[in-house]
Amino acid sequence: MSTAQWLLMLHVTGAFLLVGGSVAAGVLNTLSIRAERPSETALYLRLVRPLIPVIGLGSLATLVFGLWLVHELHFAFWSFWIIAALVLWALAGALGSAGGKHQERARELAERLAAQGDTPADALRALLRDPRGTAMSWLAGLATLLLLVDMIWKPGA
Amino acid sequence: MIAAGRPFLPLFLHVFGAMVLVGAMLAVLLLALAGRRQRSVASLPGAAFWTLLVVALPAWALMRVAAQWIYSSEGWSGSGDPAWLGIGFGIADAGLLVLLVTAGVAFWWKRGGRPLAGGLVGGLSAIYLALLAVAWLAMSGKWS
Repeated sequence: MSTAQWLLMLHVTGAFLLVGGSVAAGVLNTLSIRAERPSETALYLRLVRPLIPVIGLGSLATLVFGLWLVHELHFAFWSFWIIAALVLWALAGALGSAGGKHQERARELAERLAAQGDTPADALRALLRDPRGTAMSWLAGLATLLLLVDMIWKPGA
Repeated sequence: MIAAGRPFLPLFLHVFGAMVLVGAMLAVLLLALAGRRQRSVASLPGAAFWTLLVVALPAWALMRVAAQWIYSSEGWSGSGDPAWLGIGFGIADAGLLVLLVTAGVAFWWKRGGRPLAGGLVGGLSAIYLALLAVAWLAMSGKWS
């Protein structure tokens, strides 16, 4: 295998960890919203935690091996698709982090409610369905999807 | 080299489907592992089963149909195809069987709540994730 093939393999592996981890987090987040009892909501949101290093490692690997690949294959660093990828990568990370903090607040409330009788509460329901927090997660997903479109389409390459 | 000159839509759908499939299996694995520790949570088996049915199976179908679309549009014939294509198709097709068996065992887990079924769902999910990793490594590294 050539250096470029190794780099592409590692770059794609990073993308699988990033997108796969994000999809898994999205599934668990959806399950937490649909859960009936606060203890179940807390459990589903706790399961998102092991995915954070997976997403972080994937995110870092896509950037490092992607830029290395650009250098190795002599692409212009200032091409539209590369700039767009960097902007979308940063956006996805920032929005995902903000969405994650919102979910962490929901998990803390769910843990407290679970310890106090485990009965469904409007406050938790409202926090889980908070439009701002939900929008952050959806926009992070959209930015990741656009990043994948940009990487495969390569507009302006 | 990196997707340049390859048909955008089928390649995007293939990669997107594969990534969603990996995410779904990762979620099922976590649900099965949680099920081993939290046997009192009755919704875990159902969550694993519905994730397989609503997310993993449609993602598999999208990945596999788009793979066939690329295969046809790039003029592969079946003779002299590179090893990475064979690995990809082999894992995709055998993967459907693993996926269906996992969904069946998850249904059994949902219906009966047996810990053995939860353990099997976790084990099958881990095996399938390992196979999917081999497929993406072979296909992106163009193993010959």
